Amino acid sequence: MPDPMIVQLLLLVAVAALLVLFVRNRHGVRVAAGKRVALVLFALVNVYAVIRPDDLTALAQAIGVGRGTDLVLYALVVGFLSVTLNQYLRFQGVDARVTELARTLAVREAEIVNRDRGLLVGPDARAVPVVPGVPDEPGA
Amino acid sequence: MEPLARQYDDVWLVIPVYNEETVIQAVVKDAMTVFPHVVCVDDGSPDGSASAIAASEAHLVRHPINLGQGAALQTGIAYARARAGARYFVTFDADGQHRVEDAAEMVELARTGAADVVLGSRFLDEDTSSVPWVKRIVLRVVAALSPAARRLKLTDAHNGLRVLTRPVADDLRITMNGMAHASQIVSYLARSDWRVAEHPVTIRYTDYSRSKGQSLVNGVNILFDLGVRQRGA
Repeated sequence: MPDPMIVQLLLLVAVAALLVLFVRNRHGVRVAAGKRVALVLFALVNVYAVIRPDDLTALAQAIGVGRGTDLVLYALVVGFLSVTLNQYLRFQGVDARVTELARTLAVREAEIVNRDRGLLVGPDARAVPVVPGVPDEPGA
Repeated sequence: MEPLARQYDDVWLVIPVYNEETVIQAVVKDAMTVFPHVVCVDDGSPDGSASAIAASEAHLVRHPINLGQGAALQTGIAYARARAGARYFVTFDADGQHRVEDAAEMVELARTGAADVVLGSRFLDEDTSSVPWVKRIVLRVVAALSPAARRLKLTDAHNGLRVLTRPVADDLRITMNGMAHASQIVSYLARSDWRVAEHPVTIRYTDYSRSKGQSLVNGVNILFDLGVRQRGA
């Protein structure tokens, strides 16, 4: 019976690697490709595991997990975590874009409304972009 | 008294508003006795906040959807920055807990050129007994634990009353839409070279502002958002 340390180490390293990967460079083409390859591989391995469960159990015992299904469960947990994190970060990106859209809209509309209310008179001396970009020169 | 309206002609008060229809008019009226320029950002409130603001003398900016207090602050600053002659930007709460006199004193401090940013602090004065004790302890602990707040030697890490000078307002980008914006601003200041000063302020803890104030449980959400946000975002 091998030391159960092996699988524990593997899983912990996998979770840590995923965290770092997602938080660091999410937009990389290689990361995106990696995610797709990982998804296909995961599906293929699962198909194989369904067809030949004994091989899976042998592998599981080799790295210190009792049964093949336990190994699948662990892999699922890692997969689930990475999907959750991926979704969270993706939603943050969507959020940021929706915010910029709403902000631009709100400021445009406010300028019309407040001009009608008599609070804005004359053209404004400077136009300031509301979207994050190159900040104005201070004191320009 | 000097003609105050002229004295503060280059100051813009930015007030994020969410469901404050009962108090916002009084807060605006009070603020406008000193500051001629007030912009209220209605963060998509379902109540009558927007019409209450429209009936006041304040500029009204309306988010078409609810985005959060941080987003509303950034929008208000963006709107105020586009106005001619705006040099000082004051973030102010809509629930009436901030005193206009404190804001005016903070602007004067910024005007001396001694600081680029002036932050309000509840704890610079000796007498802090008006702050509820749970809040007092938690805020102190946050200020002591936060590396950014420590670096800036802040005594109060989450005060909504701030004065930003023009260069800071031009450079600051609040991307934390929710309540984490307060921590984001502090860590931004800690990483920057802006000179930051604190000024003692008194917070009026009324039953109303207490009921609107953010719960301490929300700190968990803030920590999570700050921890998992993308680096460089």
